[in-house]
Amino acid sequence: MSQEHGAYGQSDATQGDQQEQLNKQEQSRATARTGSGEGAASNAQSAVSGSTDAKLNARRKDNKPNRKPWLWIAIAAIVVIAVVVSIVVFRQRTSGSNAQQADTVTVGLTLAPTNLDIRNQSGSALDQVLIGNVYEGLVSRDSENKVVPSIASSWDISSDGLTYTFHLNSGMTFSNGDELDATDVAWSINELIDKQYHDYNLLQNVSSVEATDSKTVTITLDAPYANLLWALAGRPGLVFDADASYDAKTQAIGSGPYVVDSFEANTSITLKANSRYWGEHKAKTPTVVVRYITDANAGLNALTSGDLQVLAPVSENLADGLRKQSDKYTVTTGEDTDKFVLAMNQAQGRATTDIRIRQAMRYAIDHNELIASRGGADAPLGGPIPSLDPGYEDLTDLYPYDVDKAKQLMEEAGYTTDNPLKLTLTYPNIYSTELGDQLKSAFKEIGIDLQVNIVEFSTWLQDVYTNHDYDLSLVDHNESHDFSQWTDPTYYYGYDNSEVQDLYKQAMAATNEKDTNTYLAQAARIVSEDAAADWLFNYRITTATAAGVEGFPVNLNQTLMPLYDVTYTRQ
Amino acid sequence: MRFVVRRLMLFVIALLGISILIFAAVRILPGDIASVMAGMNAPPERVQSLREQLGLDRSLVQQYTDWFSGIIRGDFGTSMLTGRSISSQIGSRASITMPLIILGLCVAMALGLPLGFMTVAAKSPRVRGALRLVGLIGGSIPALWGGLILILLFARGIGLIGILPSQGFPTQGWGSPPAAFMALILPAVSVGVIVAASLMRYVGAAVGSVASSGFIDMAMGCGMTRQQALLRVGCRLAVPQLVSVLGLTFVEMITGVMVIENLFALPGLGSGLVTDMGNRDLIAVQSELFMLASVFLIIGMAVDIAHRVLDPRLDGTDDMSTARNEENSAHANPDEQEVSQ
Repeated sequence: MSQEHGAYGQSDATQGDQQEQLNKQEQSRATARTGSGEGAASNAQSAVSGSTDAKLNARRKDNKPNRKPWLWIAIAAIVVIAVVVSIVVFRQRTSGSNAQQADTVTVGLTLAPTNLDIRNQSGSALDQVLIGNVYEGLVSRDSENKVVPSIASSWDISSDGLTYTFHLNSGMTFSNGDELDATDVAWSINELIDKQYHDYNLLQNVSSVEATDSKTVTITLDAPYANLLWALAGRPGLVFDADASYDAKTQAIGSGPYVVDSFEANTSITLKANSRYWGEHKAKTPTVVVRYITDANAGLNALTSGDLQVLAPVSENLADGLRKQSDKYTVTTGEDTDKFVLAMNQAQGRATTDIRIRQAMRYAIDHNELIASRGGADAPLGGPIPSLDPGYEDLTDLYPYDVDKAKQLMEEAGYTTDNPLKLTLTYPNIYSTELGDQLKSAFKEIGIDLQVNIVEFSTWLQDVYTNHDYDLSLVDHNESHDFSQWTDPTYYYGYDNSEVQDLYKQAMAATNEKDTNTYLAQAARIVSEDAAADWLFNYRITTATAAGVEGFPVNLNQTLMPLYDVTYTRQ
Repeated sequence: MRFVVRRLMLFVIALLGISILIFAAVRILPGDIASVMAGMNAPPERVQSLREQLGLDRSLVQQYTDWFSGIIRGDFGTSMLTGRSISSQIGSRASITMPLIILGLCVAMALGLPLGFMTVAAKSPRVRGALRLVGLIGGSIPALWGGLILILLFARGIGLIGILPSQGFPTQGWGSPPAAFMALILPAVSVGVIVAASLMRYVGAAVGSVASSGFIDMAMGCGMTRQQALLRVGCRLAVPQLVSVLGLTFVEMITGVMVIENLFALPGLGSGLVTDMGNRDLIAVQSELFMLASVFLIIGMAVDIAHRVLDPRLDGTDDMSTARNEENSAHANPDEQEVSQ
């Protein structure tokens, strides 16, 4: 027993003393427990705290009860604050719930513009928010991608297709009060051509643009060009104020139903109704806030928390939760011209110049499964022209999913699963990583060892788009009417087929729509048969709106989003 | 005084070196702003003419001197992309990130300092063990997951107790302070909890190493209880180390809160830097990096000077190596620290 009490063993105490001491201690502990005996209690206190100073011990005792009130005060304060905050928030909510049209609608989008300079900056984010809302074109597009009147109320085309005469509306003004007439129209288009602003290359064969009088603009061509009207519905046809001077990167002066009230790069744009608007698309909601939210979950949270009334696009895999609450949200899927193109480099020296390998890849991809894994909203696409563009034809049966055929083609080209062909797929990190993995496993079966290389978009532009340094690439070509890329051998596809080029020329030279469509459809079929690329799917936009929102465009809303008709009535 | 002057000179030299390093580093990246501006359907001539307009065809030396002479005059340049002055761009982003960091640090200190102290001072070994465990668990929470959990609990419209906004910053910014403040609560708590855990371990280690030193015995010999000695003497001695840790944590958080900024859709410094980099807005990127680097250096310098003020023992040695060594040991490994003499 003595060994267990080393502290005492070291002292000079005898065995008997030790025993006595121990007994005392035990005793004092016992009395301390029952709480009787003053002397014993202080003895016990000193035994525990190890101090013989009575004052110190007294302070210790006094300090103890003092601590607790602070703790309780802190807890009480937190509780009070929480209650007050929740009451305030609750009140705000209930007070705002009378059914009348809201002054403000907030729209959540994904891809943000970095500046407002629509003449220089590429990217559909600018077209989306500015065209039809702030700027107006000579003509415009409807939700079926057809050309409709805008600044021009009507137009005549000469029978040879060389002279376009546009008759303008009267009484038009810009948002700064300046009058809009034919000279502004002619100036805008001429500036575009002279200064090579963005998309100037869409205006081909134009020899002159003139204001014949204050309400008439004449465009003369060297040779017929079937896409002219459509091109004028996009950026090339936008009308700017020749007399205004403003910083185009941060401001916008146009003739549309809205003006830009404030713009935070990459974050938000606030649009206010244009009080000087001249036309029939007068803004129904005085303020529309467009917020850019990159993260899909963050966007969904913003919608469900009531910060947003519209969210486009909603990731299809997240949309199911909204569909279940059909009393609170409307989820619709709209057509679009987005083509997810798996490009196959056909420049000299690449394995993908061999048509059998390209065909094998097309057979090896199960497009329906790919679409199903993304939530099932997208449409299969068998060729370069989507359903909203002229010349569309369903080409999905050209290369049905057929692994055996793919294997056979690969074998003919000299590759098997034991002796695979090594290829690299380079694509920008804005698209999901699953796409690369799915292609990798699909190609593994037929004897292609695919290495997936996901890069920044600007790196992709440099390596793939500019330097053509790639085997396979994946990118969303969202532009409409962009078939001409298959007729340009210097484009990054490296696809060069003179028959396609001739057909495209004929299509553009045709003076009636029907011929144009026929030629384009023929050309598209050849491109697809040549397996110039694979079209994984036609991306379709899923839009979610809160109950009470009306008039929000569903089709094409990633490039064309007229907001004048949007209203929101709180439910 | 000599110490401060030498420290300032080093600061200037470091800035010069950093400016060259940053300028060179961002130009190694493939791709340029002209091709990003021109987009996917533009002919090569258009890219070329944009390059000329933006001055990207000038020699690198010329571009560097233009940029750096601007900085010396206090002009950080204009973003090629947004057309706004870079200082105002950084200012508006910092007006979100800085309050977020400060709030986050407040949360972290409110939790981390007392809990860290208790990991050493608590009487019961069970409490100490439990607190260490809490520290470990807290430190292992991924920011994204912690934020999501908080959103599921407290976010308006989604959470169980939906009282706080969880998405974005009010459009009028700090024009409506209550709304702006509310928008920062959830992000600040999610970042604060994680930082609190590491702060707790630092405090525990720092106080712990003091606790086993002679200073506490001495204080107890003067009549204090162990608790009092730890609180009054131990904490005082641990303060210089903690100042280093807090300074560095602050700096680290400027970019470290990026995940949280993305999750809560806050347009702060970190996410802004990534966007500019993605768009290859090099002038903006290099000015932002330069500004961040200067902030790092200034805080480092402030920490060094604060050491002198807080720890009078350093006054005798007019040599920076002491401060440096201590600073290094303070963030090398919290578990193996000793109070430097």
